[in-house]
Amino acid sequence: MPTLTIDNLEVTVPEGTNVLEAARALDIVIPHFCYHEALGAVGACRLCAMRISDGKVSGIQMACMVKARDGMVVSTLDPEAVELRGHVIEWLMTNHPHDCPVCDEGGECQLQEMTIAGGHGNRRYTGKKRTYDNQDLGPYIAHEMNRCIACYRCVRTYRDYCGGLDFGVFGSRDRVYFGRVRDGQLESPFSGNLVDVCPTGVFTDKTFRFRSRPWDLQEAPSICPLCSLGCATVPGARFREVQRVRAGINREVNGFFICDRGRFGNGATNDPQRPRRPRVDGAQVAMETAIDTLRERVAAVIAKYGPQSVALLGSPRASLEANTLLHDWARDLGTTRLVFDAHAEQDRAARITEAHLEHQARSLNDIRHSDLVVLVGTDPLSEGPMLALAVRQAVRAGGGVVVIGPKPIDLPCRCSHLPVSADQLDDALRCLAGGSADALAAELRDALKELRDRLAAAQRPVMAGGPELLGSRGVNTLFETVEALSTAERPMGAMLLLNGPNSYGGAMLAGRGPNFDMLLDGIDEGRIHALICLETDPCRDARNPARARTALDRLELLVTLDALPTHAALNADIFLPTSTWVESDGAFVNNEGRLQAFARVMEPGLPLRATSPDSYPPREFFLETPGSEPWPAWRILARLLGRSEELSVLRREIADADPRFAPLADLAPDAPGIRLTTTPGLPHYQLDRETPG
Amino acid sequence: MSGYPQVLFKNRHPGVAAFLAEYEASGGYQGLRAALKMTPQKVREAVKAANLRGRGGAGFPTGLKWSFFPADQPGEKYLLANGDEMEPGTYKDHQLLLADPHQLVEGMAIAAYAMQIPHGYVFLRYAYEQCAQNVERAIAEAEAKGYLGPDILGAGFGFELHVHRSAGRYILGEETALINGLEGRRPNPRSKPPFPAQSGLFGKPTNVNNVETFANVPHIFTGGTEWYRSLARTAEGAGTLLVGLSGHLSRTECFELPMGISLREVIEQCGNGVRGGRAFKACLPGGASTPFLTAAQLDTPLDHVHMEQAGSRLGTAGITVFDETTCMVAATLNLARFFARESCGWCTPCRDGLQVVVWLLEEIEGGRGSFELLAMLRDQVKNISGRSFCALAEGAMGPVGSLLTRFGDELEDHIKRGRCPMR
Amino acid sequence: MNDLLPQNRIDEFRAKAATIEHPRELIVDALRAVQSHYGWVPDAGVDLVAELLGVLPVEVEEIATFYDKIYRRPVGKRVIHICDSICCWAAGGEELATHLQRTLGIGFGETTADGVFTLLPTCCLGACGEAPAMMVGLTTYGSLTAAKVDTILAQLRTETGA
Ligand SMILES: Cc1cc2nc3c(=O)[nH]c(=O)nc-3n(C[C@H](O)[C@H](O)[C@H](O)COP(=O)(O)O)c2cc1C
Ligand code: SF4
Ligand code: FES
Repeated sequence: MPTLTIDNLEVTVPEGTNVLEAARALDIVIPHFCYHEALGAVGACRLCAMRISDGKVSGIQMACMVKARDGMVVSTLDPEAVELRGHVIEWLMTNHPHDCPVCDEGGECQLQEMTIAGGHGNRRYTGKKRTYDNQDLGPYIAHEMNRCIACYRCVRTYRDYCGGLDFGVFGSRDRVYFGRVRDGQLESPFSGNLVDVCPTGVFTDKTFRFRSRPWDLQEAPSICPLCSLGCATVPGARFREVQRVRAGINREVNGFFICDRGRFGNGATNDPQRPRRPRVDGAQVAMETAIDTLRERVAAVIAKYGPQSVALLGSPRASLEANTLLHDWARDLGTTRLVFDAHAEQDRAARITEAHLEHQARSLNDIRHSDLVVLVGTDPLSEGPMLALAVRQAVRAGGGVVVIGPKPIDLPCRCSHLPVSADQLDDALRCLAGGSADALAAELRDALKELRDRLAAAQRPVMAGGPELLGSRGVNTLFETVEALSTAERPMGAMLLLNGPNSYGGAMLAGRGPNFDMLLDGIDEGRIHALICLETDPCRDARNPARARTALDRLELLVTLDALPTHAALNADIFLPTSTWVESDGAFVNNEGRLQAFARVMEPGLPLRATSPDSYPPREFFLETPGSEPWPAWRILARLLGRSEELSVLRREIADADPRFAPLADLAPDAPGIRLTTTPGLPHYQLDRETPG
Repeated sequence: MSGYPQVLFKNRHPGVAAFLAEYEASGGYQGLRAALKMTPQKVREAVKAANLRGRGGAGFPTGLKWSFFPADQPGEKYLLANGDEMEPGTYKDHQLLLADPHQLVEGMAIAAYAMQIPHGYVFLRYAYEQCAQNVERAIAEAEAKGYLGPDILGAGFGFELHVHRSAGRYILGEETALINGLEGRRPNPRSKPPFPAQSGLFGKPTNVNNVETFANVPHIFTGGTEWYRSLARTAEGAGTLLVGLSGHLSRTECFELPMGISLREVIEQCGNGVRGGRAFKACLPGGASTPFLTAAQLDTPLDHVHMEQAGSRLGTAGITVFDETTCMVAATLNLARFFARESCGWCTPCRDGLQVVVWLLEEIEGGRGSFELLAMLRDQVKNISGRSFCALAEGAMGPVGSLLTRFGDELEDHIKRGRCPMR
Repeated sequence: MNDLLPQNRIDEFRAKAATIEHPRELIVDALRAVQSHYGWVPDAGVDLVAELLGVLPVEVEEIATFYDKIYRRPVGKRVIHICDSICCWAAGGEELATHLQRTLGIGFGETTADGVFTLLPTCCLGACGEAPAMMVGLTTYGSLTAAKVDTILAQLRTETGA
């Protein structure tokens, strides 16, 4: 751990840290363009100049290219370094079109900031500027090459980091061009990261084009709700709509990047079809009225059929707070018919995961540093795209990837594939663990044996799987296999891609409760008469949606709390509109058991552009913002249960009631999150032992 | 050229290349035979003792470079001959390969043995198609005679050699860009460390030398290190130098001359003086990237040490002479345009800074200059020199810097008169 | 598209790419092969090279657009590269370039109406001792004068049958 002096301040940094990062540890920002923590140092822009006095390397050096050494003395304020940085900015600006007034990057443009910081306010060069034609890169990314400063971050992100194949750098000298060979939509599922990494306005978010200045956006640290990985995001809202999403930084999870689904797949909040008004029997009512009616009707059903006639269905989409309150409500009502995922198999898989993962849990960051990743029965690009990107980083660092499954899958990296049909995955895993597997072809057995040897030799092996193909049984076997292949000195890790952003949290609450298929039995058999759906639609989310639909029709009381225009929402006897994750604070537990908070970005409200032209000028005036009726689901439930509607109070109560959730009390957004430990002594969920519904 | 000992050019006849028979008759491949009888380490030491310095421009001691090479590391290793030769004023490798290509093959075989390298490439620029064919023929002849191949002359050492034809661009001459070029990657330079000797072509240890450097090697083993060193006129130099003359001289040819010969002797004896009886004004002593020398420095001996003392560099020993009618601003502008156009586009000072330098020189040469612009030019040199990613931009500042220091009045004259005084 | 490259060369590249560890090292060779057969490298040529070597089109294009002796736009039957570097400049290269432009009736980067000549500047050709110089195809002509250039042009015109 070298100790060095930067601008008269001493700092000790880990071996291998470059001077730029060492300075950052002291809160000294050395200006830079081409350097990026995730992309590394390439020394191209020459902006990060500083002076090193004494020692083996001395003189004006690039901070990104020099490793911190013991006793090094660095000056970032050295006049020659400052002068050079000013020149670098001036050079970069010679061809710049000065179109800042119409540039979407304005306000978050590194070039603009560095230009000002570099003291370059007067254009001396009056020669010709080179100009480029732009490309049509599809509906998501806008291209304005004239603003390019050739930091090469885009190719390094798109091609090197993300493994995209259709983007590159062409030409040379002062005519380097970054784009595709020909016009066309960018093919990488991680293309949107171009927007974040480009320090100027070459690549901007086309879906956000000319809609807001970044400083006019409401932004807050958030968590992507679109899969179970829990990537950090920063949604930006204005005019009562989500206008864009950019990647947040969580070094343990997504690092600096997110997938295009997470970036561009956020229509739900703005959806004009979104049901925003509470309804009872089809009539619009006030939220308070709806809550009161809910309380009364449930009481009536219980009075008629007993507490077990009421079933509650939480969801992987709902926050931990809302799911917990649902759990508490069931307890208060005296019903054990409580489930947290409408999909019985996914539910089981999540509960098995929750029960077994603990010491085997690996984060995306662990995967990026793994030397051998085995993917079993999963297709990360569809089930959790950032896992695919993490796996690519493992490969780039020299690690290996083996895919076990029926078909070769698309991955943004080299991998080898062991073909195993879906129904043989379980046997294959057993065989990998060293068990007998007579059902498998000899060739496959040999291949698996070879893989076992490779795993034994690996330092940081991880096995990742997805329940969709593995099924809950396969998930269970996966954990057994990982256990069998682990030794005390060299444990092996596991990662399971679950159904949704809070599957794990739901599983923690579910305990030994029934699964949703059992509830359906209960409805069909006339034991259950009321169903409360929390941010889920069984008609879409259940293992057998058609069956769910018929069952729902039999109910005496269907209650739905949701933000989406689903069947269950539109056909509920009582409907309570909830706010989306951008409109509320809350927490999710991701697939590795990491508890993470998301912060409210905006208040719910009908997007201004969703209002029709004839609603202006308004003829009537209200105090309320149109479309602002939705409440966070946890608040609806808190009101219902007479609990505190103050989130911090509620969180503390939850933390106090269940030690597993203790970290919730002080949970902050914009943090790496905290991996939950399952308190020993609490009953673990075990396969095939659900309480019947 | 009568009077100067001819070593590299001894088989040179106008218009025809010497191939195997003639080469062998003149002592060809005796160096290889001698080297193969020594241990690789002794071969490296001999090259060091001969004080051979690289002829590609930087003048790094060749034996020292070879001694850093991980010769004992098993597995793939590569030996590359740099025949990019695109620095204006430099055409000696061209002449060498047109005259006597076997010297390169033999030199590379000895180098390969010295560093225990199994594979080699001769990298040649686009314009040197005739050289490529000559080298290919030489390789084929050498293979047939067992000078190349799996077991060279029964010594139990194998070396195979290929030719790579490039497709233009000066930056390919920079050794790490050359390596990228050979790999089929964009030929931007790589950052050092790691040096090619640790991780070069395809990530394997790689040694790069200039064509002429390799061609010198056999002679060290046929004539001995003492003889080789004594070919030079100064103690600082060693061996002979291929000197390509160009510009305003009566005779512009390539000569093999003893290292350490004075610039004046070269210009007067070999170049027959400045053409048309005009006066000498300046010269680029070692290619387009070397600072100008003026008449006051004509007595400088052509070796690395003395040229540096005179404020320039020996470079590639391609001497371009300018007579008294030359506008040095215009000449420098031409050079600056070359470097700006040949920038690979990787780093800012070169990619965009050189364009600013070109623009400043255009303004001044075009009569639109000012003292502010002159100051700005001075700032460019200060901030580009030593600040770029590779030595291309640094080289570009060689002539510009010396224009400022040695022809400052001429620049000011342009500004004061508002036009080029030479036009 | 076998007018891009004769079948035997296609087979050759395919075979070689299959045996070597890093087929991308053949990109420049393959681009040059397409160019010498087809005259220049059209989009389809980039795709063909990518396919033959099993690399991405973008990887080929990144290389093709870097080198100045790979033509990614149509050129005439003969491409004239006139050297504009320092030694040729000192020997009257600029005047010669003007002469060429006037004689051919085209500027730099243009092709004569009859499709025979394209005129491009080039950096130093390594013919500094015989300045001014130019290169047509792979042949370098040195010690040029206006008269000598005219003779060469006439000769090239006859060769191309124009
Ligand atoms: C921009 C640039 C161009 C160069 N061009 C050449 C060249 O054409 N031929 C050459 O041998 N060396 C060239 N060099 C030097 C090489 O990088 C390298 O130092 C040399 O090939 C080593 O060989 P040597 O030690 O035998 O001189 C160039 C260097 C730079 C920075
Ligand atoms: S100085 Fe920079 S831009 Fe110029 S050739 Fe070297 S790396 Fe490329
Ligand atoms: S950040 Fe160091 S050179 Fe660009």
